[in-house]
Amino acid sequence: MRFWARIACAMLVALALSVFVAACGGGDDEGGGTTSAETTGGAAGGARQGGTITVLMGTAPDYLDPQLAYTTQAVEAHWISYTGLLTYARADGEAGTRLLPGLAEDLPTISRDGRTYDFVLRRGLRYSDGTPVRATDFPYSVERMVRIPWGGRSFVTNYVVGAQEYDTGRARSISGITANDATGRITIRLREAYGAFENVLAFPALAFVPSGTPMRNLSSDPPPGVGPYMLDNVVPNRSFTVRRNPLFADFRIPDIPLGNLDAINVRLVSNTNSEAQQVLNNQADIFDPGDTLPPALLPQIESQARDRFERKPVPSTFYFFLNTTKPPFDNERARQAVNMALDRDALVRLSSGFFEPSCFFLPEGIVGHPDSPCPFGDEPDIEGARRIIREEGLEGTRLVVWGQERSPRKEYVDYYTDMLNRIGFDAQERIIADTVYFPTIGNERTDPQTGFANWLQDFPNPSDFYLLLDARSIQPTNNQNFSKVDDPFIQRQLLRLNTVPASRLDTVADDWRSLDEYTARRAYNAVFGSISVPKFFSERLNFEDAIFHPLYFNDWSSISLK
Amino acid sequence: MARFVVRRLLSMVLVLFAISILTFLIFQAIPNGDPAVRMAGRLATPEQIAQIRQSWGFDDPIWQQYLTTMGKIFSGDVVSYTQQLNVLDQIKQALPATLSLSIGAGIIWLFFGVLFGLISAIKAGRFTDRALTVLALVGVSTPVFLLGAVALYFLAFKLTIFPNGGYVPLTDDPVDWLYHLILPWCVLSVLFIGVYSRVLRSNVLDTMSEDYVRTARAKGISERRVMVRHVLRNSMIPIISLWSLDFAAVIGGGAILTESVFNLQGVGQYAADSIQQLDVPPVLVVVMLGAFAVVILSALTDVIFAFLDPRIRLTG
Repeated sequence: MRFWARIACAMLVALALSVFVAACGGGDDEGGGTTSAETTGGAAGGARQGGTITVLMGTAPDYLDPQLAYTTQAVEAHWISYTGLLTYARADGEAGTRLLPGLAEDLPTISRDGRTYDFVLRRGLRYSDGTPVRATDFPYSVERMVRIPWGGRSFVTNYVVGAQEYDTGRARSISGITANDATGRITIRLREAYGAFENVLAFPALAFVPSGTPMRNLSSDPPPGVGPYMLDNVVPNRSFTVRRNPLFADFRIPDIPLGNLDAINVRLVSNTNSEAQQVLNNQADIFDPGDTLPPALLPQIESQARDRFERKPVPSTFYFFLNTTKPPFDNERARQAVNMALDRDALVRLSSGFFEPSCFFLPEGIVGHPDSPCPFGDEPDIEGARRIIREEGLEGTRLVVWGQERSPRKEYVDYYTDMLNRIGFDAQERIIADTVYFPTIGNERTDPQTGFANWLQDFPNPSDFYLLLDARSIQPTNNQNFSKVDDPFIQRQLLRLNTVPASRLDTVADDWRSLDEYTARRAYNAVFGSISVPKFFSERLNFEDAIFHPLYFNDWSSISLK
Repeated sequence: MARFVVRRLLSMVLVLFAISILTFLIFQAIPNGDPAVRMAGRLATPEQIAQIRQSWGFDDPIWQQYLTTMGKIFSGDVVSYTQQLNVLDQIKQALPATLSLSIGAGIIWLFFGVLFGLISAIKAGRFTDRALTVLALVGVSTPVFLLGAVALYFLAFKLTIFPNGGYVPLTDDPVDWLYHLILPWCVLSVLFIGVYSRVLRSNVLDTMSEDYVRTARAKGISERRVMVRHVLRNSMIPIISLWSLDFAAVIGGGAILTESVFNLQGVGQYAADSIQQLDVPPVLVVVMLGAFAVVILSALTDVIFAFLDPRIRLTG
């Protein structure tokens, strides 16, 4: 038996060594799959105070450093932890797009030419680590955002005086932003009027961090900020905690609630099935709205968790672009035929119901969204469309339809290609990898005829959507105006409407509405609607009281335990 | 024995060298375009790309680039430019979960693979053999992601017998560690148990017809002793070699699916997440270290076998 004894010994030694190694280095893991709910106080303002909840995320935030983060998973945590000069109202739907003063005492004073923004910083503010907030922290924070760099920095570098020079290393600071610590006054000068600039200032990426914060990615140890919560306990790619900031209550900033929960533990999970099952079974509290609910679990969720599950529309536009510079879609009637034949309800079904059909480019929840009927009817008219294609002599015209691999986008393109063939075209799909899709179709050399495209708002402003129909967006690479729309009427309107400050958008709502109706009539794109995302909680939370913000999704500061 | 060990170690070094060259070519030299842009990730500025080009020496001759790349990998100097995190630190953080998964699963699949293979061979042609053959085929043909999802659905979600994924470090709570790993161990083992039992059954049947087994029986040795000392001992050699290769592959990130389904946050999942984000540096390091783990463990197994079985060091 010597042979077996040796084998057994070797395996035991290997096992002991491996268990030792396995035991090492795991100490900083949050671990566990359970939630705790220790309450710390009685009810205040109707909602129960205190407690800890667990949020599951299937997709990791891109960064936890506020001046790098862009994805919804990141800004969900950041907008309650890092406040800028301006912020958004804590409200559902379109009400949530209203701009409020954040760390500024009031909304900005804007010069008549729309190029100078004046703010005064609130007094007595402190960061979550106790450091006093100074006006000069603002230019520093913006410079840090440009330097490290934030993916959306062009919203600043394209408009703020001196920001481009700073970005390219030709200047040591951004000359267009000045601040005075003694008076708290902050002045921003723009190169040209840019109405959406107030929305830009409300990005958490432009929130305050202390001067001297290192100019590098601090995702593992996020810098202090000003907000009802603060980030803590970050284990990269695994978990982080959003904990109540005890200092914030002293500032009494109107309209920014202090929050109800003591802490929100965020855990990253790799399996959305498991993520949904844990919330359904109350083993975790929130299913991240950025994740897709598994279609197989949906009926069970809808029946078992009807009172804690809801589909929430997100201002976004999903459409098929129609290249107006190439046959056959340089012909307006061909574009109209496509819009006539499109069955939007079929596309809703392909999205497991997480879709709101629409034919207008501005989605619901954005100022200017028309409520008039679709110009080419709500019901698909295949026969009518086929007749137009025949009359225009376009029958049998070859089309390449571009699409992405991921579901359900590929299925959208499958449906669309089939529909194009049914109305008389000879259409074939070209499906390419998600990661290279938009650079490919946005490249002049590809110059695609038609295909799938979508846009999710950067901020709730119609000008953010009309960037895609602005002739100035037609570029040889990274083109965003896939239909290559160059319409003098649209250009004239944009020139005027794009300069209206975001806080005064309601004064031009009718103009945006007329413009969007005009765009729909010209059939520049075949718009089919907006996505919805799930608001899905465990039974432990007050579902109805929790705000679902149109930009930042679940407002964690409004959530409370039952 | 010493000569065998030296020979085996030398061949291991050669294989490692060849792997390092292949990995370098696949990641840095063969793809079109600027390697610095690929390394930098999606949001990099021209300055960052220039800095990466300089740091990795992408303007140097190819052999110099190879040396720089290897230097960076083995000094633990590789950084994920997308996340700004040191890759080796991330692998170290993920390794306990991967080791916990692979060790437990490795023991389970070896034990049950041998047990079922042996029973199958002894009962060859009878009902038990046929039943185990069917079970083995089911195990081999069921994808891990399906079995994992089904197990999670019924055992963790419906019956709530097991936790719904996640990993608890051994140092935090040994009982919870075990509780969270039972399902992943079983799911990962199923495929291997099927393969191992089929391989062992065939080896045992071949060995049973060898002359030395007939001689042993003719000498009047008990059937149990014949099976254990003569048949199983010789049939196990390829199984152990196979086990070491599979075990190393699982450690080197081969359990991507199991780790992802059960959210174990191990090395495989780290690699999968990095691939999804087109984050090249972690993928490069995981591939290289995974390949090295396979080669080194394979060499180690050969040395152990040479120690256990003199025929190997004489013929090897």
